[in-house]
Amino acid sequence: MLEVSHLSKVFVSGKNKVKAVDDVTFAVKRGEIVGLLGPNGAGKTTTIKSVLGITRPSAGSIKVGGFDPFAEPNNALSLVAAVLEGSRNIYWRMTTWENIVFFAGIHGVSHKIEKDYFDHLIETFKLVDKRSTEVRQLSQGMKQKVAICCALVKKTPLVFLDEPTVGLDIETSYELRGILKELAAAEARTMVVSSHDMAVIQDICQRVIIMSGGRVIADDKIDDLLAVFRSRNYKLAIGNVLDNEVVEGMRKKFTDVEVQNGERKTNITINLPSSGDLYALMDFLREHNIDIETINQQDPDLEKAFVALVRKERERCNGNS
Amino acid sequence: MQRQLIAFQAVLFRNIIELKRYAFNTISMLVSLYAMFMILFFGLQRLGGVAIAAGDTLEGLLVGYLLWTMAIMAYSELSWDLNAQAQVGTLEQLYISPIGFGRLNAYSLLCNLVLQFGYAAVILAVLMVSTGKYLHVDLVSIVPLFIVTLMSAYGVGFAVGGLALIYKRIQAFFSIFQFVFLAFLTLPWAQFPWARFLPLSMGNALLREVMIHGRRIWELNPTHLMVLVGTGVFYLALGMMAFAWSERIARDKGLLGHY
Repeated sequence: MLEVSHLSKVFVSGKNKVKAVDDVTFAVKRGEIVGLLGPNGAGKTTTIKSVLGITRPSAGSIKVGGFDPFAEPNNALSLVAAVLEGSRNIYWRMTTWENIVFFAGIHGVSHKIEKDYFDHLIETFKLVDKRSTEVRQLSQGMKQKVAICCALVKKTPLVFLDEPTVGLDIETSYELRGILKELAAAEARTMVVSSHDMAVIQDICQRVIIMSGGRVIADDKIDDLLAVFRSRNYKLAIGNVLDNEVVEGMRKKFTDVEVQNGERKTNITINLPSSGDLYALMDFLREHNIDIETINQQDPDLEKAFVALVRKERERCNGNS
Repeated sequence: MQRQLIAFQAVLFRNIIELKRYAFNTISMLVSLYAMFMILFFGLQRLGGVAIAAGDTLEGLLVGYLLWTMAIMAYSELSWDLNAQAQVGTLEQLYISPIGFGRLNAYSLLCNLVLQFGYAAVILAVLMVSTGKYLHVDLVSIVPLFIVTLMSAYGVGFAVGGLALIYKRIQAFFSIFQFVFLAFLTLPWAQFPWARFLPLSMGNALLREVMIHGRRIWELNPTHLMVLVGTGVFYLALGMMAFAWSERIARDKGLLGHY
């Protein structure tokens, strides 16, 4: 559905050159829901805008359904819809319905032919009551929903959602995530969701592409990515306070040990790269007559994985420079 | 073809809605245009008919003013609209339409051209009644003359619109063109023979012949008509080229779209 190959974009301003996207390569298959994650300035939006033909790349190639968005824009763009800046993408002096009719129309989709589908989307997004309300009178969350509706009514096989939940309260964000998940499953569309909100990506997407400093630093299924982190961290609650000798011994034997001594209890966070290390830890604790109250494998979420990967990439870049 | 028709209908739909929603703005624009002309008209009457608009008559002033207002509307329609769309963030959506931004823009211009003729008809009728100066309104002659004359104003609009894509906040620059257009209309050919090749200038002269002296379009000097068409096509093409050039820069610099 989408192939991005060795994409680079350098912005030149006078003598300054900023490499916003650096040799990015990825592909998205039909029906996949892919998350695009990255800190500010990671190159996510520039990548999306290049795919949409809004920003011309400095190097590399892009194929949307086999079409180059710069050489064959009409063919490529007929397959894509996007919400780029949330509620800023729609006309605030027009009503929900008017916006939907207009944006579908400029994609060649008639509201007369597709009226049932438009109504279905309005219902799904719970906008029935706001159908004839001017967008400027709607809440931020409602505006965002209208903007997403305007992208979906085009019935394109590929949809880009750039920060779909930005500026929304938790409840609305949660509701929107639910709707998107439902629609993605029901319509089998290909979606690329760019967001800072890890929960959104973890909730909606099957696969995540993590960008940092203009480069792709991870491209994997979310479950596989989390599995890498899941196998390492354990949290132990000990029923007594550990003396310094034991703590030092533990630190010598294992790497990455964090000990928090309380008044009566101790919490230990420890990194155990292999299953053998877990047995070694148990032996060590038994040797020192330490009672374990609880032991939990820490469940790393996408946020932790993301932070670890981005940090690692930054260290790598700093090391190179 | 059907998709193009749907897109045209969508643009027409949006423009009509905007017209309705901004009705107060439209009415106040028409009222201020009327008031401005009446001030000019009575002022000049008091001064004893100072030569203006390359002619000596108040009818000439009426024709020049009508053309000037239409040129301003045509020019600002393009440049101002692009700027406004970039501000509200809808420009990017127009650029990702498979219909093509150029076509959507052309549909919008076409809709608004019809609208402009409507405004012009209202202004002209009210001004003629208010001043007691009646002009020949031969639609067969004046509509094509207005359209070809306005092509050069659209050309300027495209060029300035292109600059708006790159530099964004150039409202002050927009306003200057109101006076530049006035200069195009008023530069006397006798002193500045090259002035006839400026945007609007030849159109103003030919419209005066039709609307004041009652000539039909086929009775006009063929050379003058050729100059009119030539300048119209030239400035429109130049403006569109400038726009395409600006668009390319905006795409390269990632400026297409929002502020």
